[in-house]
Amino acid sequence: LPRSQIGMGNSSSQLPRDDEIETIAHETEFSRSQIVRLHARFVSLDKKGRGFLERDDLKNVPELAVNPLGDRIVDAFFTVGGSYDDGAFASVKRLDFRQFVRVLSFFQPIDRSKKNVHNRRTDKLKFAFIMYDLNKNGYITREEFVVILNSMVGANITSDQLDNITDRTFAEADMAKDGRISFEEFCKAMEKTDIEDKMSIRFLH
Amino acid sequence: AAMIIHFVAGLASLLYLPFIFTIVLLVIFLSATGLTLGIRQRVADLLILIFEWGSNVTEEPEEPTKDEQTQKEEEEPKPATIKKRHSSSDLRIIKREHSDVIENKLQGQDVLKKKSTVSVLVDDTLDFISAGIESIIEDNVTSRFSAEQLPSWNLLSRTKYDFQHISPKLTILWILGFCFRYLILVPIRVCLFVVGMASMCLIASAVGHVPNKSIKKWLNRRAMLMSMRIFSRSFSSIVRFHDRQNRANQGGICVANHTSPMDVMILSCDNCYAMVGQKQGGILGFIQTSLSKAEHHIWFERSEANDRKAVSNRMREHVDDPSKLPIIIFPEGTCINNTSVMMFKKGSFEISATIYPIAMKYDSRLGDAFWNSTKQSYGEYMWMMMTSWAITCDVWYLPPMTRLEGEDSIAFARRVKKAIAKAGGLVDLEWDGALKREKVSAKLIALQQKLYFERLSRRTSMCNDVTDEDMDILKNMSEEDRNQLLKQLDESDDVDAVIRKVSSFIPEVAQLVTEGNQTEPVN
Repeated sequence: LPRSQIGMGNSSSQLPRDDEIETIAHETEFSRSQIVRLHARFVSLDKKGRGFLERDDLKNVPELAVNPLGDRIVDAFFTVGGSYDDGAFASVKRLDFRQFVRVLSFFQPIDRSKKNVHNRRTDKLKFAFIMYDLNKNGYITREEFVVILNSMVGANITSDQLDNITDRTFAEADMAKDGRISFEEFCKAMEKTDIEDKMSIRFLH
Repeated sequence: AAMIIHFVAGLASLLYLPFIFTIVLLVIFLSATGLTLGIRQRVADLLILIFEWGSNVTEEPEEPTKDEQTQKEEEEPKPATIKKRHSSSDLRIIKREHSDVIENKLQGQDVLKKKSTVSVLVDDTLDFISAGIESIIEDNVTSRFSAEQLPSWNLLSRTKYDFQHISPKLTILWILGFCFRYLILVPIRVCLFVVGMASMCLIASAVGHVPNKSIKKWLNRRAMLMSMRIFSRSFSSIVRFHDRQNRANQGGICVANHTSPMDVMILSCDNCYAMVGQKQGGILGFIQTSLSKAEHHIWFERSEANDRKAVSNRMREHVDDPSKLPIIIFPEGTCINNTSVMMFKKGSFEISATIYPIAMKYDSRLGDAFWNSTKQSYGEYMWMMMTSWAITCDVWYLPPMTRLEGEDSIAFARRVKKAIAKAGGLVDLEWDGALKREKVSAKLIALQQKLYFERLSRRTSMCNDVTDEDMDILKNMSEEDRNQLLKQLDESDDVDAVIRKVSSFIPEVAQLVTEGNQTEPVN
C-alpha cells in the first residue's frame, strides 16, 4: 500500500522510501521497524534538517560529551562510516542515513548461526583500533596511546604514571617490539577479551 | 447552477456567523461565571475513541508490525489514569546495558578485585566505547527537547511522521477532521482569543482606576479569571485541577515544571498569580503594561535581568508583602517536552523558605503543547495550538514545602523537583535544560574524568593509600557529598594531594552517614 503523501516537511525528515529501507535492511541485517526508529533518531540528531550528520551533531549529545572518549568515538564513527566496501578507511565530514546505520550495524550482537561470525568480530575490533589510531596509518604509537589515556583521566594523573601505564601496555601488546601496535598485534592482545559481549548493543525488536 | 451555488453560499454564511456568534457569547458567559458544560471533555473522549479506531485500521499492512506493537502494549501496563503515562511510551531502540555498566563502574559499585592496570584499562575502554555508541542511538537528554511520540495517530499531519501506512479510510477521517478544525474550530477560537485579549486589557486598565484596594483586588480577580478562561477555551483546553486545598492563597512562591508558554494561562484559570518576566516591546509589552495597572507583576528591564541580585531583591520584596499575589516561577528556565523534569535553577529557592510546588502533565494525544523554541517561532506555535484538537492538562497542587534545617538551595530545589516529578509521573533528571541550546560545560566533563581516575586508583595498583573501608564510604556517598568532595579537589592537584583530600574528607562523610541513618535522609 503506497504511503499517502499528506504532510509538510522537507525531504530529509520524511521516512526513506521503501526500496531504500529494503536495501539498508539487506545490507545491515536490521529489521524494518528498527530502521524506521533509527531514522527517527537520525532526524532528531540532524537538528538543522540537512539530511546528513556532522561531527558536532554527535558531539552535542550530552551523554556523549561527558564520555571521556567521546571525541575519539565520534572520530572513529565518521571514519568507519565513510569507509569503502573494500575496507579502506577515509575520514569523512558528513554521514548520510545509510552510512549511519552501517556503523551501528557493527555493534549488532554476533549471531553464531550466520556465516560471517569472524567478520563481525573483526569489525568490532576495527572500530576500537581506529579509535586509538589517531592518524589512521594502521598503527597505534605510544604518543597516540598517551592521548587516549589522557582523555580518560584528564589532569588527574602525573606524566610518570602515564609513561608507566603506557610501558606496561606496550610490553604486553607490542610483539614485534617496534614501538607501535599493528592491527594484528591488537587483535592478538584482545584474544582473551570477550569482544562480542563488550561491544555488542542489545537492539530491541 | 451558479444561482444554486450563490443560494447555498448565502444560506451557509447566513447561518455561519450567528452560529459562531452564539458560541462566543456562550463561552463568555461560562467563563465569567466559572461554570462548565462538560462539552469539551465529551468531545475529547469521542475523539480519542475515533483515534483508537483509526489506529486499529492501520495495522492491516504488515503482520510483523502489528505483533510488535501489540507486544509493546502488553509489556507496558495500560495506564489507568493519565498520571501513569510517562516516557515509556517512547519507542525504545536499544536496551542501554553498557551505559549502566559504566555508571556502576564510576560509582564504584562493581566487584572489588585488584586486576592489572592494562586489563582494567582495556576493559573500561571497550565499555566506554559501547556506552558512547548507545548514547548516540538513544540518550536521556536530546529526546526531551522534541515532541513526545504518540502511541497512535491523532489525525494531525504534523504527527504523521511515525505512522507510515495510512489507509484510505484514515485519509477520509483526516480530511473530515481537517475541515472541522479549520472551518469551525479555528474561527471560533480566533474570535475568542480576540475577545479574551480585549477583555483582559480593557478591564485591567479600568480596574486600575478603582480607588478602594480590596474592591480592586476582588475585581481584578474576577476579571483575570474570566479572561484566562476565555483564553483557555480559545485553545480548547481541558484542564483538571487536583488537590485544590493546597492552592497558594496569600503570597509566597509557586513553582511548576515548564512545557509551554501557555502554562501560565492554564494555571491562571484557577488562581491569580503575579507574573515574572522580561519587559518586552510591542504587543506583549502592551499586555504587560495593562496587566500591571490592576495588580503588581514583576517585569524586568533587559539590563536588570542580568543582575541576579536585583532580581532576587525585587522578588523578595514582593513575597514579603502579604497583600500581593503569589508569584509563579518556572525554575527549569526553558520549555521541556513534558516527559521529564530537568534541573531546577536554585535562584528562586533562595528567596523564600516556603515553596508551593505545582505539577503539570499534558496529555499530548489531542494536541502537543510543547514549544520547541529552536524549531518554531512563537507565532507558528500559537497557530499550531489553534489548529490542534485540544490541549489537555492535569494540574496537581502539592502541599507547600519548606527548606529543612541546614539544607542548601540546590538540595531544596532538587527535593521539590523530585516531588513534582513524582506527582506528574515524569522522569526526574539532573541534566540542565539549558543543554537545549548550549554544550555540556567543561566542568561536567572534568568531573567524569575525576570519577574515572578514582576508579583506576581503586582497581589497579596505582596507589594503595586508601583503605577498603574508605572505599565503602566513597561508594555509598550521597551525591551532594560527592559534589562537596569534588569542589575541594583542584585541577592542578597531583595524585598525592587528591589522596590527601579524599582521605581527610572521608571521616566527615562517615560521621554524616551515621547521623543520617538516624534522622531523615537528605535526598
